[in-house]
Amino acid sequence: MNPQESSDFNRRDFLKGTSLAALMAAMGGVPLRAEDAKPAADAPKKASSPPVSCAVIGCGLRGREILNTLAVMPNAPVVAVCDHYAPFLNRAKTAAPKAEGYGDYKKLLANQAVQAVLIATPTHQHREITEAALQAGKHVYLEAPLAHSLDDARAIARAAQAALKSNFQAGLQMRSDPQRHFLLQFIRSGAAGKAVSARAQWHKKESWRRAAPSPEREQELNWRLSSATSNGLIAEVGLHQLDVLGWFLKARPVAVTGFGGVLHWSDGRDVPDTIQAVFEFPGGTLLSYDATLANSFDADYEMIYGTDSAVMIRANKAWMFKEVDSPLLGWEVYARKDEFYKETGIALVANATKIVAQGDKPVEDAPYANTSLSYALEAFISNTYVVLSGVEDFVASFNPNDTAALKEYLAGLAKSKLPAAGWPEGYEATVIAIKANEAILKKQRITFEKEWFQV
Amino acid sequence: MKLKTFFVAVAALLLAGSLTAQTMTRYEAQPGSKMKIEGTSTVHDWTVESGIIGGSVEVDAAFPAEPAVKAVPGKVNARIQTTLPVRSLKSGKKAMDDVMHEAMNMTAHPKIEYRLTEMVLKEPANGPVLNFETKGELILAGATNTISMPVTVDRSEKGKLKFSGTTSVKMTSFGLKPPAPSVGLGLIRTGDDVKLTFEWKTALPAKTP
Repeated sequence: MNPQESSDFNRRDFLKGTSLAALMAAMGGVPLRAEDAKPAADAPKKASSPPVSCAVIGCGLRGREILNTLAVMPNAPVVAVCDHYAPFLNRAKTAAPKAEGYGDYKKLLANQAVQAVLIATPTHQHREITEAALQAGKHVYLEAPLAHSLDDARAIARAAQAALKSNFQAGLQMRSDPQRHFLLQFIRSGAAGKAVSARAQWHKKESWRRAAPSPEREQELNWRLSSATSNGLIAEVGLHQLDVLGWFLKARPVAVTGFGGVLHWSDGRDVPDTIQAVFEFPGGTLLSYDATLANSFDADYEMIYGTDSAVMIRANKAWMFKEVDSPLLGWEVYARKDEFYKETGIALVANATKIVAQGDKPVEDAPYANTSLSYALEAFISNTYVVLSGVEDFVASFNPNDTAALKEYLAGLAKSKLPAAGWPEGYEATVIAIKANEAILKKQRITFEKEWFQV
Repeated sequence: MKLKTFFVAVAALLLAGSLTAQTMTRYEAQPGSKMKIEGTSTVHDWTVESGIIGGSVEVDAAFPAEPAVKAVPGKVNARIQTTLPVRSLKSGKKAMDDVMHEAMNMTAHPKIEYRLTEMVLKEPANGPVLNFETKGELILAGATNTISMPVTVDRSEKGKLKFSGTTSVKMTSFGLKPPAPSVGLGLIRTGDDVKLTFEWKTALPAKTP
C-alpha cells in the first residue's frame, strides 16, 4: 500500500478522533459546546431538574406535539389538558392518560396542582389565556407568535414582565437549540466574514386547510386562513426563521417591504399562500424571505452570506460554503463535506469529531438528535424550577413582601437557567412578523418604528 | 419565714424569667446575604454561592448591638440559628450544580443548618465592627460537627447587624465523598477541603402596620 496514503489516512483518523477543543482552538478561539453537549436521544433520559406539573391548553396539532414531547421527559408530568373541542380533548387524553381534561381553561387554571401551562391555542386567543394564567400564578410557555395584534402582544409582554414569580418562555424554540448556539458563536466570531445578506425560505405543497365535521368547526379550525385571526405564513412559520437570522446578525431590521397573494389555493381564504418580504438591516444588510404553500422545492432553510463564506442551516444540520479567497481556518480540511450540485458544503457540526467516551469511534454526524421543541421544553421545565424554587427559598427565609429584593435575588439566578426565549425576544419577533405581514398585504415598505418595540 | 423566702425566690425567678424574655432582642435574616463555598479539583477551582441564609439571632440587652452599648470582652448571650437550602447553592453551571447537589445528598438533606453554641467577644470595640470567636454546630448532609470560627459583627447601620466569617471544613468530616463526576474523561476529582465564607445580614423586624 502507498505509505503516503496510509499516513494520510492515519492522520485524518486521528484528527477525526481528537478532541473538539483542539479543533476549535485551531479555529481561532471559537468557544465550543462539546463538553456540555446533550446526550444522544437514545441515552437514558436524565431529569435536568425536579418535576414541574404541567398543563397544555389548546390540544390541536401543535398542542399534541407538545404533549408528546412532554411525555418522554422524566420531569414534566402532565396533570391537565384543555380544549373546548371534545374530540381534540379526547385525543389529548390519549397522549396524556393521567391528565385531567378540561373544556374551560379557567377551571384548569383554578387547579392548584397545575404549576406550569403550555399554551398552544390559535394565536388570536393567546392574550386572554396568558393574562389569566399569569394572574393565577402559573408559569407560562406561550407558542409564538405571541399574539395576532400589536396591542395583544404588548399586553402579554407587560403581563409577563409584571409576573415576577412566574417563568415566562416564548415558543421560539430555536433559541434553546444547542446547534443554533454553536452556529451563533461561529457566525458572530466572524468565521464567515462580514455578513452582507441573508435569505430564508419555507416551501411546502399543502393547503393549510383542515377538514372538520361542521361549517362552524371548519371555520374555527382554519383560523390560519383568515386575516382576522392570522398573520399568515410570515407569522406562523417565518417568525422562527427570521428570529434566528436576526439573532445571528445581532440586529433588528429597520424596514420591511412585502408582496404576496393567493396564487394557488383560491378557496375563499384571504391569507396569502405565497409571500416574499425583504428586510433591511442597519448597515444595508438585506434579508429576503419567501414562503409558499404552492411548491415544495428545496423545502426550508436559512442562509447567511458572508464575505468569506455562506452558511446554510437546514433543520439540525448546517454547512459552510467557502469563497476561494477566504482565509484557511484549518479544521475545515478534515471536516466532513457534502456535495450540493456544483458546490461543496463543509459540515458545521460541533460534535462531528468528538470522541465517544475514551473510545475512538466518532459520534454520528448529526449529534443534535433531539428536536428544537424538546430542548425548548427542557429549558422551560428546568428554568421554571429555578424560578419556583428560588421564590420558595426566598419566601421561607425573608420578608415575602420585599419584592425589590426578591426581584434582585431572582435576577441573580439567571445564570443558572438554560437558554430560552423570554418575553422580550418573543415580543420583538412578534412585532416584526405582524408588521411584515402588514407590508405583505399592502405591498408596501414599512419602516419599523422604535415605539412599536417598547413594551 | 421559710414560706416567705420561698415566695420571694419564686417571684425573683419569675421576674428574672420575664426579664430575660423581655430583653432578648431578635434580629431577622435579610435578603442580600451571601454564602460562598470554595473548593478545589484536579481540573480547576470551583465556587458555589447562595443568596439565601435564613434564620435569626437573639441577643440580650448586654450585647453591644449598638455602638452606644459598652462592649466588654468575654462571653456574650446570643442565640443564632440559620438555615440555607442546598438547592440555592449555585455555580452558574447547571451540570456542576447537579453534581454538587447530588454529592451533598440534597434529596435526603435539603438544608444546611447552623446553631451557635458559644460566642466570645475578643477585644473591646474599636469602631462599628466587633470581633468574636464562636463555636457552633454545623449540620450538613445530616451530619453534625462542631466548628469554631472567628466572626465579625458590623453595627454600622442602626437596627442592623451584619455577620461575616470564614472557615474551612472537610467534606469527609460530614460523611461526604468528594465528588468525582463522570464528565470529561472521568479524571476530575474534587479536593476534600472546602472554604466557607459568609456575609449574613440581619435586622430588627420591620414594623408592620
